[in-house]
Amino acid sequence: MRIVFCGVGALGSTAVLCCRNLDAELRLVDFDRVESKNLSAQWFVKQSVGKNKAEAVRLQLGNFYGIKAEALGVRLGAHNAAQLLDGCALAVDCFDNADSRVALSEAARARGVPLVHAALAADGSFALVRWDERFVPDREDAAGQATCEGGEHLPMIGVVAATLARTIQDFVRTGARHDSMVSLSGTTRTA
Amino acid sequence: MAVLNITYQGQSADYDLEIDYAASDADIRRIAVEVVRSGGVRGLHIAGLGDDAFSFYVVDRLTSSTGEQRIYLRPKVPFGGR
Repeated sequence: MRIVFCGVGALGSTAVLCCRNLDAELRLVDFDRVESKNLSAQWFVKQSVGKNKAEAVRLQLGNFYGIKAEALGVRLGAHNAAQLLDGCALAVDCFDNADSRVALSEAARARGVPLVHAALAADGSFALVRWDERFVPDREDAAGQATCEGGEHLPMIGVVAATLARTIQDFVRTGARHDSMVSLSGTTRTA
Repeated sequence: MAVLNITYQGQSADYDLEIDYAASDADIRRIAVEVVRSGGVRGLHIAGLGDDAFSFYVVDRLTSSTGEQRIYLRPKVPFGGR
């Protein structure tokens, strides 16, 4: 089985780390580069600063755990989404904007690829892990809104990424499609 | 009858809603303010909650696998934590 992670920032990079023992090939998609400020809330090490995020995660998986992955350092859009999903049995959305989520949803639905989304509130107090058939992307309240990149949200990011990883694991093992919501008071399965 | 789940400032709690599942989003937000203010939601009592506390919240309507109708009033979740 091949799984594509779309967006390997805070949620994506941490979820990949938690999925490293899955019996699956991992494909990583992200156009962005690692900045020093990312080290406080994302699974990147100092040596990765300046590298493309997908490539950095690929290198870390290989160097630390001997795990191979495929890195694609491109921005997913309507023009290439189908190509990036090619051969994948599962897509995982960890993007940080509604437009990319919509492009990914449309491509996944068109190709019949199961898709699970993970999404965080701006203040890091709430998050959803939800399958595409029940997911509607939320837009920012205002352009340029803070995006949980400060280290103060790292524990919450860890909980959400672990919840996402468990959801992926359940799907890989049994085909189950569980939804969850995560608040500061705990994680609740909602479907 | 439906269950209204309200998440506010990281805390989440259920409230048995005795109105039509198809109530408007505006009605859901108004009711939520009232019940949180009054202490009707166990574990989520904020006496001074503002009228606009849920103005930018999302209302999700889902049916559980057991057929229970649930309404979730929750903050927006636009980010993957870039």
